[in-house]
Amino acid sequence: MVKKGIKDRVAIIGVGCTKFGENWELNAEDLLIDAVYEAYKDAGIKDPQQEIDAGWVGIQYYFTGLAGCTLADAIKLYGKPMTRVENFCASGTDSFRNACLAVASGVCEIALATGVEKLMDEGGAGLPGFREFGHPTLPLPSAPAMFSMAATRCMHEFGWTKEDLALVAVKNHQNGVHHPKAHFRKAVDLKSVLNAPMIADPLGRFDCCAMSDGAAAVIITTPEIAQSYNHANDFILVKSNALAVETMAPWYKPSFGFTSFTSTVKAAKMAYHEAGITNPRKEISLAEVHDCFTITELINVQDLGFCAMGKAAEELRAGTFNADGELPVNPSGGLKCFGHPIGATGCRMIYEVTKQLQGRADGIQVKDPKIGLTHNLGGAYTVASVTILGKNEK
Amino acid sequence: MIIGIERYGAYLPKYLLERKLIAEAWDFPVIPGGISVRNYDEDSITMAVEAGLDCLGEYDPNGIINTSSIDGLYFATTTPPYTEKQCAPIIANALDLRSDIICLDITNSTKSMSLALARAYETIKAGKANKILIIGSDSQKPMPESMYEYQYGDGAAALLIGKDEVVVSIEDYVSTSDNVIGPWKRAEDKFIRSFEGKHENIYGYSRNIIAAFKLLFEKTKIDPKSIAKAAIYALDPRNAEALAKKLGINSRAVENTPFLEFGNTGNAFAFMTLMLALKRGKTGDLIAFGSYGDGADAFLLKILDKQKLRELRRKCRGIIGYKNSMVMLKNYGAYLSKKKIIETERFIRKSSPVRNWRDEKFLYRMYGMKCNKCGTIQYPIWRACIECGEKDNKTDIKLKKRGKIFTFTLDHLEGGNYYDTPVPRCVIDLEGGGRILLNMTDIENPQENVKIGMDVEMTFRFIHSGANYNNYYWKCRPIRVLRKEEEEE
Repeated sequence: MVKKGIKDRVAIIGVGCTKFGENWELNAEDLLIDAVYEAYKDAGIKDPQQEIDAGWVGIQYYFTGLAGCTLADAIKLYGKPMTRVENFCASGTDSFRNACLAVASGVCEIALATGVEKLMDEGGAGLPGFREFGHPTLPLPSAPAMFSMAATRCMHEFGWTKEDLALVAVKNHQNGVHHPKAHFRKAVDLKSVLNAPMIADPLGRFDCCAMSDGAAAVIITTPEIAQSYNHANDFILVKSNALAVETMAPWYKPSFGFTSFTSTVKAAKMAYHEAGITNPRKEISLAEVHDCFTITELINVQDLGFCAMGKAAEELRAGTFNADGELPVNPSGGLKCFGHPIGATGCRMIYEVTKQLQGRADGIQVKDPKIGLTHNLGGAYTVASVTILGKNEK
Repeated sequence: MIIGIERYGAYLPKYLLERKLIAEAWDFPVIPGGISVRNYDEDSITMAVEAGLDCLGEYDPNGIINTSSIDGLYFATTTPPYTEKQCAPIIANALDLRSDIICLDITNSTKSMSLALARAYETIKAGKANKILIIGSDSQKPMPESMYEYQYGDGAAALLIGKDEVVVSIEDYVSTSDNVIGPWKRAEDKFIRSFEGKHENIYGYSRNIIAAFKLLFEKTKIDPKSIAKAAIYALDPRNAEALAKKLGINSRAVENTPFLEFGNTGNAFAFMTLMLALKRGKTGDLIAFGSYGDGADAFLLKILDKQKLRELRRKCRGIIGYKNSMVMLKNYGAYLSKKKIIETERFIRKSSPVRNWRDEKFLYRMYGMKCNKCGTIQYPIWRACIECGEKDNKTDIKLKKRGKIFTFTLDHLEGGNYYDTPVPRCVIDLEGGGRILLNMTDIENPQENVKIGMDVEMTFRFIHSGANYNNYYWKCRPIRVLRKEEEEE
């Protein structure tokens, strides 16, 4: 399955992230430059022109930026390989994946992985672009509707209720209160979640993540070169990064059950194999998973092997996934609190887990984590990317 | 050669507006009955497809007839969605007819459909075709706060004309032309107009119909007293009786038009009256059938076999099936919105006529494919199997237009806008295989009424006007007419 792999061959030496939210006064350039320069500072990069060999930027929308120059022009770093990466909502992690491969292959010594999205300029009622995208006449459900179809089926098969979904929002909003870079830093109660207006039945407004602007950046190198930068003693190692792409039209696939996302299952299998993880529930200390909608988190934790099929709601109620639980899921507050500037989210997850493993989380610090996981999901559960990060145990 | 009706079918949209709601809206005198109202995603083309499907046996327990046996489609309307571009080929595609057929739009008169009937008769008589489908469909948009609102209902009627399995024969016909000023609509007019009605009623309507039937009776040497049924275009039942009297037809032979029940459905109207007349027909009955519009057409028809006629009725939903499954609109505002008199178009999507043309087989004709390796029946048609990846090893198959909901959502977002009324998006497992995603239409209170496992059927609808042309596709709806009810009928 995984051939040579990248395990322990790539080190994260610096991370940066803007405040996510309605950044009306900032454009994509502002967001990128803020995230990248925070990462430079974190790593100890002093002369980017000399030190950075290549860059990637994850962007979903053409109006945020086209081509590699979106990154090059923002930070005025010219004459180097710069690439725009698009893979739906997993664009950010795919930007990181490409950078990792470049470092592991030896083509680059220090690489920059970034992601950015400027959604608020397009107005706030759901993701833009659904007029232009896809086949002219075949139905195209909105993003909430895509995941809502899975919610309807899970409720039918597992007996989950709207309250089970709502509890995901309650948990993640409780976590987000503590994170200075979150879009929303307000706890919500069950009643408000349940009484919110419908977006795509059974998902109400609080079941959906918000439209936001933001950017995040990650600087990676080899473990050897990492020794000469700021985090020489606590750089983070990439244990694995796997990407699995399935169909954009699962509603045409007769065998698809709408209770599990095949892309996540396959990406997790590859990532666990390479990282040598056999019991994710026990071995993983924390996970930032793609909670674009409350139902998504419930399905994700099952697909990632954190609990048995159909048991996610039960485990959630038991506190398993709380920030102080057995396996903290989205201690940052997740997409529920950060919103989802498409291209940025994957790199933000790497940012969160890196800082958690280094014991310097912005929000709630998980107790003594060893291994962290990020899970980024895009399209109609089409593209899934799973990354395993670990401390550099000497 | 005996030429005539082999099958028939009809369509009435789901909604009925009681005339008293129009009266309430405008403080008009109350007239009893109602008008049939199309949904916002219907037009003359989509209703024609519905009537065509009903006629060809889509709802027949024995299944739809082989549509490749049909050699022509004559479409009659006064309300074509296009003024340049033929409508019939769109309907022919949705009905999965062959491409080497004669397609005609006959427009601009309320007797366009009887002209289509005469053309079908002549074409078959000349040996140029064996079976021709004729469909009349109209959806008039009357001016608000005018008495026209009481008049016009929406609907469609279809007849399959042939020479092999004729149940009601065409004995003869007469067509007249008269440049009388009846209702009109110029190219630039939004609403239908008419002049002082009395002149038209005497010199246009009555005189033309009488003249046409007199000619027909002379030509066929038929004694008007021997007419068992008279189905004549009439907006007022008293008109038809008065005409019959003048022609010497027994007044008891006159079939009431459905005007009071659901209004004047334009080209379909006279034919709907005919279908109602056939309901109680006996073998050997002679039928006088007349339509009006810039002249009159008079037909002499004959029921060849009462038993076969009864069987035909069970093969379709027809007017009775559709009429009994209508739902009353709660208020006049809903009517304005459904008829798009108030424009509430939901969204326009980027479109490409080229792409829709290339995908005709699965977009309009509703074909899917079966993988020859793993056997999976799937939709749409693509090169490699979605389950096993086998390349270019497939058989295209026509999918059934009925299935069960596997999962669904009620989506309030469309094209980047939030709407208070959600669109049900339904993942459907089709009878006989294939899974598809379709939006649901003709549904009230979806929060209560859409469920996993519910039976749905496909309906051809207007989707949006991207690229400034009409993008049509299929939607699903709850089974409109339940079989049990039909059997009780």
